[in-house]
Amino acid sequence: MTTPSEAFGVPARRPLITARRLTDVLSHAYIWAILIVFVLPFLALVGFSFTARPGEAGAVTNYGYVLETFGDNLLWSLKIAGLTLVINVLVSLPAGYAIVRHTFPGKRFLFSALTLPLYVPGAVIGISLVLTYNFTYHLTTSMWGLVLAMSLGTFPLMLTPIVVALKDLPVIFEEASACLGATRWQTYRRIVLPLIGPGVSAGLLLCFIIVFNEYLVTLFVHPPGLTTAPLRVFNQIRTAGLAPTTAALAVTMQLISLAAVLLFFRLFGARHLKGTYLL
Amino acid sequence: MTGDTRSMAPLRPAPFEALRTAVGGGGLRTLALLLPAIVLALGFLYYPLVFIVQMSFTEGSSYLSPTGPITTTANYSLIASRYLPNLLITLELAVLATIVDLIFGFPFAYIFVRKIRYRTTVRALMVFPMFGALYIAFGMRFILLPGGPATPLLQALGIQSTDALFSLPSVVFAMSIFTFPFMVLNIGTALGNVDPTLEEAAACLGARPWQTFRRILVPLTRAGTVAGALTVFGWSIGTFAEPLLLGSANEQRALAWTVYQRGVVQTDYGLSTAMGVVLLGVAFVVTYLSLRYSRGALVE
Repeated sequence: MTTPSEAFGVPARRPLITARRLTDVLSHAYIWAILIVFVLPFLALVGFSFTARPGEAGAVTNYGYVLETFGDNLLWSLKIAGLTLVINVLVSLPAGYAIVRHTFPGKRFLFSALTLPLYVPGAVIGISLVLTYNFTYHLTTSMWGLVLAMSLGTFPLMLTPIVVALKDLPVIFEEASACLGATRWQTYRRIVLPLIGPGVSAGLLLCFIIVFNEYLVTLFVHPPGLTTAPLRVFNQIRTAGLAPTTAALAVTMQLISLAAVLLFFRLFGARHLKGTYLL
Repeated sequence: MTGDTRSMAPLRPAPFEALRTAVGGGGLRTLALLLPAIVLALGFLYYPLVFIVQMSFTEGSSYLSPTGPITTTANYSLIASRYLPNLLITLELAVLATIVDLIFGFPFAYIFVRKIRYRTTVRALMVFPMFGALYIAFGMRFILLPGGPATPLLQALGIQSTDALFSLPSVVFAMSIFTFPFMVLNIGTALGNVDPTLEEAAACLGARPWQTFRRILVPLTRAGTVAGALTVFGWSIGTFAEPLLLGSANEQRALAWTVYQRGVVQTDYGLSTAMGVVLLGVAFVVTYLSLRYSRGALVE
């Protein structure tokens, strides 16, 4: 008896393991191995955060302890990040618009000069700011010193997606709006801003993640009595060694950041982060 | 015909001249829009940098003394002699992290661009390093702790836990995790621009995979690979938390931490700013090179 495939001259089934299939499996295994290495430090901290402190019964109390003892630090982190985002938007939106839509000499130079903070090591920004704050600006006791330092370090991350979004937006919409009698401000608010919204949101996300987790420049310029959560993590490790409660704080910070990223992916998709630091 | 006369009202004429100013903008308006960004950059980056360059040529904290600053170049000669190991270990760590990223990043980027359909998942997991080197270093320190999760594995390999924890490899490992996404981003962008048919053509013409890699992929992605390597190097020279939490006394000499120690803790402003200037110089050279190599500038 002949099977249908033989009857029609179709060759017998190909072997289950071919060289091609093997390479495919190995490729995916490689990607996942690397991804696991990425997540490993986080998972280790999650595991550590659920171990009981000496002299404490429940392990979950670590997170209660975080809210109790480190609540202030978390609030400061959110507050500093929020204020920084507001300043970044106010600085980057007009600058991005002028860079893309207006013609002026030295445009490339200006854009490079404005994005340079991204390439200056954090410790250099830190030492230069702490010295100027102390000796020239007298800004050492105000939280605005910290906010402006964060802004300086991150506003290029906001400016870049805005510039990309504006370049992708044909100028006809604005021309049409102007033809129909809209004022400059109306065009900006009702045409340009909604259309580049995803680009602005991408900038907001990047800046939030960086500022929310920043500890290095903060270590240099934080005013006395103001400790953000990542700086608290750093200080706790330096002074108290490894403690499950510190791990719980670090896990909390990373979960908040991850929630922000996933929310963004859900709302806008990953493509608006192109050309920025998150692929 | 609706008979509605309101819609028949003539539109306000918009001459081309008015249109151009409405979208284009003039000199003063442009300046006004750019001003906040320029003020922020000048006041909080460029002026402070000039300030520390000046200060790096003064002795100790004499910049502030009522008798006037004592000008000297001793800080720089000190860096070239006594603090040379600090500079060298900083560069060594950055070079090693770059090499590790390059070796593991190229295959990752290739598979990611050519074979992966579930890219959003990969991207979502790849954001973990972005949350900062501090958490990576903290997590790794816990993993490597004597009696920690990695102890059985290390014992199987015949490595003492204490040797693994405070060592050069663990610092480099943490640093390369932190910077890996930058490398993949740059190489991935370059690979995305390489037509897959070129690889098929090479295979058809009898090239082995290694030959295709060596003679097709590497030359075509050179710009992206170099840009990626330089970006990773530039980020790595400012390393701070990793050497501190995972390194031995040797790695803890990395410049960024020494800047903090000398400047903020011991108030030796002259020396610490000089170190900052050296760090800045290296960063600028690297950035200049990487911008020259990366194609497609945003503003043309």
